Amino acid sequence: MKYIPLVWAALRRKPVRSALTFLSVTVAFTLFGLMIGLNATIELVAQRAHADRVWTFLRFDNSGLPIAVAKRIATMPGVKDSTVMIYFPGYVGDPKNRVFVIMADREYERVYPDQGLTQEQWQAVHKERDAIVMSQKQAALWHKKIGDNLTIISPETTRADGTKTWTFKVVGISEDITQAPAGFIIGNYDYYDKSRPLTEQGKINEVDFLVRDPAQAVSVGQQVDRLFANSASPTLSDTEVSAMSTNNFGGMDVKAITRDVSLAGLLMMLFLTATVIAQSVRERRAEFATLKTIGFSDSALMALVVVEAALPCLVGAISGMAMAAWLAQHLQALMPPNFGLPAPTMSASVIVWALASACAVALASTALPVLRLRRMDIAAALSGRA
Amino acid sequence: MTMLRQIVIVSLLNFRNLRQRLWQSLVIVAGMTCVIGVLLSMLSMTEGMHQAQLNYGDPRNAIVVSRGTIFEINSAIPRDKARIIMSAPGIARAQDGSPIADPVVMVGVPTRMKKNGGRTWITLRSFGEKGPMLQPKFHMVAGRMFRPGTHELIVGNLARFQVVGVAVGDKVSLPDGEWPIVGAFATGDMMDGQLVGDTETLMPSLRRKAYTTIQARIASPAAFATFRGALTSNPALAVDVMRLPDWNAKSSADFAKFMRVIVYGVGVILAVGALFACFNTMYAAVESRSREIATLRALGYGGFAVAVSVVLEAALLSVTGALIGASIAWALYDGALSGLGSDVFTLTISPPMIGTAILWAIAVAVLGGIAPSIRAARWTVSEALRVR
Repeated sequence: MKYIPLVWAALRRKPVRSALTFLSVTVAFTLFGLMIGLNATIELVAQRAHADRVWTFLRFDNSGLPIAVAKRIATMPGVKDSTVMIYFPGYVGDPKNRVFVIMADREYERVYPDQGLTQEQWQAVHKERDAIVMSQKQAALWHKKIGDNLTIISPETTRADGTKTWTFKVVGISEDITQAPAGFIIGNYDYYDKSRPLTEQGKINEVDFLVRDPAQAVSVGQQVDRLFANSASPTLSDTEVSAMSTNNFGGMDVKAITRDVSLAGLLMMLFLTATVIAQSVRERRAEFATLKTIGFSDSALMALVVVEAALPCLVGAISGMAMAAWLAQHLQALMPPNFGLPAPTMSASVIVWALASACAVALASTALPVLRLRRMDIAAALSGRA
Repeated sequence: MTMLRQIVIVSLLNFRNLRQRLWQSLVIVAGMTCVIGVLLSMLSMTEGMHQAQLNYGDPRNAIVVSRGTIFEINSAIPRDKARIIMSAPGIARAQDGSPIADPVVMVGVPTRMKKNGGRTWITLRSFGEKGPMLQPKFHMVAGRMFRPGTHELIVGNLARFQVVGVAVGDKVSLPDGEWPIVGAFATGDMMDGQLVGDTETLMPSLRRKAYTTIQARIASPAAFATFRGALTSNPALAVDVMRLPDWNAKSSADFAKFMRVIVYGVGVILAVGALFACFNTMYAAVESRSREIATLRALGYGGFAVAVSVVLEAALLSVTGALIGASIAWALYDGALSGLGSDVFTLTISPPMIGTAILWAIAVAVLGGIAPSIRAARWTVSEALRVR
């Protein structure tokens, strides 16, 4: 504790330098925090993948999977629950403002208990035909509250009367979930289906089902694909775990990118702290020699130097992480709508990891000056000859 | 003139004793190396991808998609409408007088990524009779062309770098069984990562009644308006008609924007860090040179010359760092193959990108060097001599 005033005095000797070091460390850690936070999110999504969930879609097409396939899958041995899924695409006002609505049937909540809707919200979706529940992000994006109408124009989806304008009523605002970085909207499948022309009714995008035994998920998926291989609608099934663990955001290797960027940031910081601390020690050789003369041990001096380097690093790391956490919440607003990168997670382990990196940088950057101090010739240093 | 001479002399003096401040100065160099290395590596990817998308296909072609289509693969043009479209005015004619237009079927064929085994889809598109004529860059590089009417495919010569099971001789599982790959082609654009088969053989196999898009060679730049007018004035067709380059730009705009937000966001954050480091270093450099600066001032050199020399020193170091960063990125990535999903493209680090890097470096140096340089210029001789 008695060293604190000494360290403080050293930092205050060149206030501009200390402030700048602190600022550049803050900036580097903002980036570092965002990068490892993003990585943490990706891992979180992969971890949250349900081992018993399987997705089945049309193998070669997106013209629509007949609902008969869903009914057949539901009766297969090993399948516990199954739901049909429609991705309803469209835009709000201007073609640039794209939205998607997931049209869910009554089984959907059993297959997706992690969707973020409450029991009441699920009931509300099924009670009124044109009802939708928006997640908070989507509600904020389109400035909607409960009771409002949301009008979506869907060039791809004609109604039975030939129009392409769909008006929905917001009956609930739900929590957002990590799996849907841009938020989500849930609608009523029956309403959707009955509103389509007869020739289009009963066509779905996806059958999602739960298997009784997660260990059998892959093989049940394969059974489904074999069953429909020679039908008019060959299917492709993937377990959620396999889909999520290789989730590559449009083919980008996000993990490699975040790793390289954060390494570059750390390297830059290491170089900066190292020169600053080396300079600071060099300028104060006489001072350190005095401390040695009045009985400070080598390890005490070492501690002084390390703490002097670590303080701006740690404080910078903390403020950088705070900055990253703030940015993480506002990142989505910078992206084109519905082009979401998942929001970085600022979990405890992410913060610990950042602080550990800050300490490592501080230690590494002081290695050389500390060695020099140990070998210092006191008489030479005091006389200014060194 | 004297001012310029003073600047040159003071700056040269600075550069010559840079060695004494080697480690300090390296902070700027290393900082900019990191900033520019990261920025250009990421840009090489986004710009390479964007370029490949923009160059996709022949710029003289027009594309016809069903009205409101956003993703090409979701378009659908029924056979009867296709016939009307392909006989519209404004289309260039082949030697036998037939219009150079071709219906295209596109479908995603599930496969796995070579790198991590992840699920992806490779684009299978089709050639009709006029297909090769519409793609002048298209040529076979191995094996042979598929025979029309048979269950055969050919593959772009870069597809195998990105996904598994697409070498010449491999078989691709389609609804009507296993289709062998009999040859490899190159076009130098996005098609190099795709499979190609025969339109009229694929249609019944995929149980399609509609083509995906129609591509047509426009007779002359002026003829495009005629072609588009003829199609869009016919309400029964319900199609959108675009020049292929416009369509490419439109379909890649959103993704390019998304990528740029990320890349420049990361770049700017790193650059701000480097800016603080530059500020710090130049500040220290000025202090360590205080006596020298005082002497220069006493000899009659102006404060402005000293200030400029400080900024020039920062710029020299920063640009050096940027060039090192750019060289590293260039050596690692320029010309390398990369992919996004099953799309394959070449990473490029172009001269304009290196120009951007140097501009960034100069900006960082000027912003970071200006305050220390003002400090140096403001010193009176006596003050400067007293600074330790």
